[in-house]
Amino acid sequence: MNLMNHLPALALAVPLLAAFATPLVAAISPKARNIWVTCVSALVSLIVFGILYRVLTMGTQIYVMGAPSWNISLPSGFAIPVRIILEVDAFNALVAFIASLSALAGAVYGLKFVRKFTGLEFYSALYFLLTAGTLGMIMTGDLFNFFVFLEISSVASFGLIAFWRDRPEAVEASYKYMLVSQLAAQLVLVALAFIYGRYGVLNMAAFSTVVQPDLISKVVLVFLLVALAMKCGSFPMHMWMPDAYAEAPASVTVLLVAMSQASLVVLCRFCFSIYGTAMGTAVIPWTLIVLGCASMFGGVSMAVVQHEVKRLMGYHSVSQVGYMLTAFGVGLLALGDKTAMDGFGLTAVAGGIYHMINYILYKGLLFLCAGALYMAAGSRDLDKMGGLARKMPVTSALFLIAAAAISGLPPFNGFVSKWMIYESVYAVHPILMVVALVSSVLTLASFVKVYQTAFLGPERPQFAETHEVPRAMIAGMCVLAVAILVLSLFPSWTVNTLVRPAAEALVNKASYGAAVMGGAL
Amino acid sequence: MFSSVFSGAGFWDAGVWLLMFVFVGGYAFGIRRMGRSDYKKGTDQDEVYYSGNVMPDVDVFTVPASSSYWGFREALKGYYSRLSAMHTGIATEYVGWFVLTAAVILVLVIV
Repeated sequence: MNLMNHLPALALAVPLLAAFATPLVAAISPKARNIWVTCVSALVSLIVFGILYRVLTMGTQIYVMGAPSWNISLPSGFAIPVRIILEVDAFNALVAFIASLSALAGAVYGLKFVRKFTGLEFYSALYFLLTAGTLGMIMTGDLFNFFVFLEISSVASFGLIAFWRDRPEAVEASYKYMLVSQLAAQLVLVALAFIYGRYGVLNMAAFSTVVQPDLISKVVLVFLLVALAMKCGSFPMHMWMPDAYAEAPASVTVLLVAMSQASLVVLCRFCFSIYGTAMGTAVIPWTLIVLGCASMFGGVSMAVVQHEVKRLMGYHSVSQVGYMLTAFGVGLLALGDKTAMDGFGLTAVAGGIYHMINYILYKGLLFLCAGALYMAAGSRDLDKMGGLARKMPVTSALFLIAAAAISGLPPFNGFVSKWMIYESVYAVHPILMVVALVSSVLTLASFVKVYQTAFLGPERPQFAETHEVPRAMIAGMCVLAVAILVLSLFPSWTVNTLVRPAAEALVNKASYGAAVMGGAL
Repeated sequence: MFSSVFSGAGFWDAGVWLLMFVFVGGYAFGIRRMGRSDYKKGTDQDEVYYSGNVMPDVDVFTVPASSSYWGFREALKGYYSRLSAMHTGIATEYVGWFVLTAAVILVLVIV
C-alpha cells in the first residue's frame, strides 16, 4: 500500500480522530496534551504539504472513500459517482496547506495562551474538529459531504468562540454567530436538495458536467452565494465577524480566519469550476463586485474608528474579504471570453487567490499579536496601552511585519496581491481600483494607529513589570511570519509555482469535471 | 525564483527593494556613527527636553486611540452616523440583513 495515495483521507482522518482521542491523552497530564496537540498539528501540516507537492507534480488528485480502490470514481455499471470523493487540485491544495499552517500556529500559540483556564481537553478537541471541518470543506468534491464539514466546523467554532464562558460577551458573540450560521446552513441544505431533485447528483464534478442555466440552478447559486458570502464575512452580512473574532481566544481566531476562507474556496468552486459559463447571467459577477467594494470600504471605515484592538482587526477582515470578492467577480466577468481572460481575468483570479493565502497568514499573525497584547496589558482597549515595544520587542517586530503586509507596503506579499488586483479590476472600471486604493490607505492608517498607541510612546508605569510573551506563543507567531517573509521575498516563485497553477485549475471547468467523470456523461 | 513578476501592465521585483533597504539602512547607520560618542545612558542626557518645563504625566501628552483621526471622523460624520446605525448588535437584525441580501440578489437574478 502506497501511503502517499491516501494523504487526502489522512488529512481529514488525523485531526478527526485526534479530536476524540484528545480528552484521553489530556487525562495523562497537561504536558502529554501539549505534546499531542503539537505533534498532531505538525503532522496534519506535513500531510497537507504532501498533498500540495503531489498535486503540483502529478496534477489533480482524487480520493474515493470506501471504494475497493482509492481512485476508481466510476465503478463499472455506474454512470455517476455514488461514493464520497475528495478532489484536490492546485487551488484547494494551496489553500488547505496555508490553512493547516495557521492551524499549527494557533495550536502552538494556544499551549501557553489558554494554559490558565479549565476545560483545555475540550478546547483542544474542538480545535481539531474545527481543523478537520475546515480542511474537509476545502478538499471535498461531494456536495452533501461539504454540508457535513460545514456543520462540523460551525459547531466546533460555536464552542470555541464561547470558550471564555464567564464573559457574557463571548457567549453572546457565539450565539449570534450560531443564529446566522444555522440560517445559512439551512439555505445550503435547501440548495443541495434542489440540485439532487433537479439533476440527481451530489458529486461536484458530476454536477459541473450537467448543470444548465435554468431557474432552479440560478436559485441554487444565489442560495449558496449568500450563505457562503455570509460565512466569509461579506458586507452587509458581516456583523457577526467583529463580535466573534474579538471574543474568541486569539489562538482560535487564527483558525476562524482560515475557516472563513474555506467558505470562499467553496464559493469560488461553485462560481468558476462548477457553474462557469452555465451561470447564464452577469448579475452574479456584478453582485460579487458590489459586495466586494462595499466590504472593502465599509469594513475598513468601521475599523479605522475602533479602539478595541481585536474588534478593529475583525472589521479589517471584512475589508480584506472585499478585495477577494471584487477580484473573483472581475474574473467571473471574463469567463467565456478568451481575450478578456488572458487580458485581465486570470490576473484577477490569481490576485484573489494570492490575497486569500496572504490574508490567512497576515491576519492570523495580527490576531496572535493582539492576543499577546491582551496577555501583556490585560486589556484589548488601545487607550490603555502604550510603550509596549520596549517590553515586547519580538511581538512588536512581528506585528510590524504583519501590519506592513496587510497594508500592502512593498516589499511585502500584500503589496503583490493587491497590485495584481488593482491592475486587473482597472480593466473593468477605474472606480473599482480607486475604492481598493482608498481602502488600502485607510488600512495603513488604522494599523499606524494600532502600532503608535500600543507599541510606541513613553513607557507606562503600569507596564513596568510587563515582559515578552512565552516562547511557545512567539513560536506560533513565527510560523506565520516566516511564511509571510517567504511569500514576500520570492513573489515570482510564489506566483509561477503556486498561484498561477491554482488560478488555472480554478477556472478550468472541463478539467475539474474530467478528473472524476473521465469521459462519462 | 528571484525573477520579476509581470502583470501585463508592469512588473514587480522584490530584490530591487531589498537593495534599496540595504542602501538606506547603510546610509542611516553611517549618519548614526557620526553622532557624539560621549553619550551616557541613564544620566540627565536621557531626559526629554520639554521647552524647559517639567514633563507632564504620560496620559496627558499621549493621544489615545479613541482620539486618533478625530478630523476624519468629524468630516464624515453623516456617513459614520448611518454606518454605526447599521451596527446595532441586535441578533435579529443580523438575520434581517442576511435575509434582505438574499432576497435582493434573488430578485435581481430571476428578473
